[in-house]
Amino acid sequence: MTPQTARTTTRKSGVGTPPFAAHGFWRLLVLLAAFGMFVVLLIGRLATLALFESSRAYGATSTEYVPERGDIVDRNGVPLARSIYGYAIWVKPADLLGDRKQLANQLAAIFPDTPAAEFYAKLTADKPGYLRKRALPEQVKQVHDLGEIAIEFPREATRLYPQHDMAAHVLGFVNRDGRGAMGMERVMNDYLRDPSKRSTPLNLALDVRVQAALESELASGMAATNAKGGAGVILDVATGEVIAMATLPSFNPNRPSFANIPDLGQPIVDGRYPISRQTNNVTNRVYELGSTFKPLTVAAALDAGTVRDLSVRYDATKPLQFGRFKIRDSHPSGRWMNTPEALIHSSNIVTAQIADTLGAARMDAMLRNLHFDVRPDIELAEKARPLYPKSWDRLTNMTVGFGHGIAVTPMHLASAYAAMVNGGIYRPATMFKMKSDAKIPGKRVFTAATSARMRQLMRMIVVDGTGNQADALGYRVGGKTGSAEKPGVGGYSRNLVVSTFASAFPMDNPRYVVLAMLDEPQGTEASSFQRTAGFTAAPVVRKTITRIGPLMGIIPDVKRDVDVSELMPLLWKAKGEQ
Amino acid sequence: MNGERKEVPWVLAAKTGKIGFANRLGRGDRSPLGVWFWELDRVLLSLMMVLIAIGLLAVAAGSPAGAQRLSSSTTQLSSLHFFYRQLMWVIFGVPLMLLVSMYPREQARRFAVFGFCIFFVLLALVPIMGREVNGSQRWIGAGFAGLQPSEFLKPFYAVAMAWIISWRLKDPSLPVLVLSSIVTGFVCFLLLMQPDLGQTILFMGTWFALMMVSGVPASRLWGLIISGVVFIVLAYNFYPVATQRIDAWIFGTEGLTHDKMALATLTNGGFFGLGPGLGIKKYSLPEGHTDYIFSVIGEEFGLLACMVIAILYFAILVRIIIRLLDEKDQFVVLAVTGLGAQFIGQAMINMAVNLGVFPSKGMTLPFISYGGSSILALSMTCGLILALTKRNPYLDRSLYMVKG
Repeated sequence: MTPQTARTTTRKSGVGTPPFAAHGFWRLLVLLAAFGMFVVLLIGRLATLALFESSRAYGATSTEYVPERGDIVDRNGVPLARSIYGYAIWVKPADLLGDRKQLANQLAAIFPDTPAAEFYAKLTADKPGYLRKRALPEQVKQVHDLGEIAIEFPREATRLYPQHDMAAHVLGFVNRDGRGAMGMERVMNDYLRDPSKRSTPLNLALDVRVQAALESELASGMAATNAKGGAGVILDVATGEVIAMATLPSFNPNRPSFANIPDLGQPIVDGRYPISRQTNNVTNRVYELGSTFKPLTVAAALDAGTVRDLSVRYDATKPLQFGRFKIRDSHPSGRWMNTPEALIHSSNIVTAQIADTLGAARMDAMLRNLHFDVRPDIELAEKARPLYPKSWDRLTNMTVGFGHGIAVTPMHLASAYAAMVNGGIYRPATMFKMKSDAKIPGKRVFTAATSARMRQLMRMIVVDGTGNQADALGYRVGGKTGSAEKPGVGGYSRNLVVSTFASAFPMDNPRYVVLAMLDEPQGTEASSFQRTAGFTAAPVVRKTITRIGPLMGIIPDVKRDVDVSELMPLLWKAKGEQ
Repeated sequence: MNGERKEVPWVLAAKTGKIGFANRLGRGDRSPLGVWFWELDRVLLSLMMVLIAIGLLAVAAGSPAGAQRLSSSTTQLSSLHFFYRQLMWVIFGVPLMLLVSMYPREQARRFAVFGFCIFFVLLALVPIMGREVNGSQRWIGAGFAGLQPSEFLKPFYAVAMAWIISWRLKDPSLPVLVLSSIVTGFVCFLLLMQPDLGQTILFMGTWFALMMVSGVPASRLWGLIISGVVFIVLAYNFYPVATQRIDAWIFGTEGLTHDKMALATLTNGGFFGLGPGLGIKKYSLPEGHTDYIFSVIGEEFGLLACMVIAILYFAILVRIIIRLLDEKDQFVVLAVTGLGAQFIGQAMINMAVNLGVFPSKGMTLPFISYGGSSILALSMTCGLILALTKRNPYLDRSLYMVKG
């Protein structure tokens, strides 16, 4: 074979000189390089956009709904407060063509809740004004059909509370200028109006299902006992989250009262509730909560070591005389009782003695550790200052031991109970939903051993004591009754009580504190003609827990319970009683 | 062995003048079609076909948004309305491109110069008998027969200018640069009347590329660049359309504008996109199937796809320029440079507008944006590029060729 040598020359030498004017060749390359640089610029821009600015809206948010004021939702995202555009009806009286008297009557026919005279006054006013701040589209159409050109229908951003009365005290409402005037609307006003944040709804810790159950059971408890009002709160013991908070009777935040409309006990007309209903009784009103303080006293005594042996008995045969003051039991047992028996039968005499041995200084320290001396720890603005003893003499210490001579809000008590059963850590209550992995700061108030002991004792109160009406089957409820007489003119009134049941469940591993309070319950057939908490508030707690337990993922189990066997022999029983 | 020996196909073809189906368009196919295919830059053709295919996909993605926008309560456009229309234009456009690419150089030049004369006249007629769309007078004729003379003028302009400049080789005394500047100036004046700032810049850019490659001294080129800057400054000060666009670009705008919506759409899909047909923001984007189709691609196919498209355009230019580097005919170099710079320049400007780098101007993304005039004119551009870059790849390399 002959080696092929014909094509060994390179391409360049084959072509020879550049094909046309020398700089044409280079200028083509310059042109190419210029375009190449531009492509690099474009790709660089694409990369920076993808890395640093993806999903930025560039102000182009037309596909996203950004409300005028942020939504408020519950822990599962159910809307509690939203912003919508509603119709208002506006009149310019000077331009009116028709007969005003007739027009007022026609308007009153469309809006039966407003008298014709009120419309007539607005139609004859000097200045233009609202005939109606809010109206439904069909009402607007009816008014439009009246054919009056001086009536206009501007659309205005308005706040809608789709759940109406539910959780009204927590949510609050906005005033006519669109500023939050109460509740979370007031506290979070700036956040809800912040243009950069308001597209994300405010997530509350509240669970509407639990809130609904609590409100409905409180309402039926009120109806059954002819109580004047009711209040309740459900708290997560581990996080301090407020799962439900209710004050009854409630009001409609869609139509709040700004004027001082007194509560005359008359039926509600025109959707305008008395302004007193807008008070949040859980956080903004203080009560002498009575016997519900006894477990706190016992816990402090266990911690301090002043009660070391639960079998030690105290004299409860006769009222305790202290100076001119007499401490007596509402249901005197007339015998010596040990600590578990004192809690189970709610003995003031024994608790006063335990408080006395504990001493005022330690009682004061425990209550201050639980923040009973300051307004409750919660984000709401409507918070009452407790009536805390100014000087701790012996008698004050003894009465505080069973919950008299000190007035705190139900919120205080719920937080204290949470600390007592959760292992002894006090955490401030919060209205906001916590992240599941959030570390919530807390402060130790009781030892873990005391907390474990208190769980047993509280469970025994429900199994064997005054709280047995609260025993929701399988939910291992533990709690304490409290029936405090209301201070009235000239001393305590024996007939008007505030009955409270403060509880936690399930007692073998507490998850939630449930507190229910009825204001001035009457002895009715439903409560066995009793006013005390064991017959009025305790059943409300039982029914509430039976409803909310399954919602919270707590499985009712009659075979499980906190072990109280070591304490059961301490309870004295009459011969033959099981 | 006798008679059983299998002939190599091209030898067989040479002997019999017939060729089997399997070897059609192959090396041995001596029919005009076979020669055309052999001489064609097939890589360039494939790159263009890929672009057209991407364009069909992109128009299918952008079509629902445009169709929704143009639908009224009485007439409901099919969500793929623009896709079907684009498909129809591609069915016209691709054969047109192949047909134009079959012209020999001389005929291609004559065709382009003839086309330049016709569309130049049409462009001059636009101010008199044009039709106004979206505030500017760019269209001539009505309905289906309507066309934008400036779109078609672009490729013919590049070839015609290249031809004028190449006269210089025959007679250096001819004032070709002055002649070409006068023609360009007149075209730009007509375009600014419409007003169409984007096309004006494109024509001037094409002319600049021609000047550059034709061997104008560097000092004059710098002079041109400076006068370009002066032109932009003057346009900003005295031409309201430019003032408004440039102000919006530099100082930002209040509220919702096209460029903000385009950026929001573009970045919505991240690197990998939301998936075909799953775009959300495209529905709020006007002109999602035409000027802002690049943003729709970004949302649905991701920014990586956008990068690939930018690289694809650049690859076309690289292929064209490499082919020109050892080209001897100055007319061909100039014409193809002009056509290529125009084609790729338009793509770059459109992408830059979509990315918020340039102020917005009405310009389509070549072969990807929807538009009948645009597709046909671009088919013409690419057909001319293919026709002029066509040659026997081994002709120059043969050592036995007589070098001139």
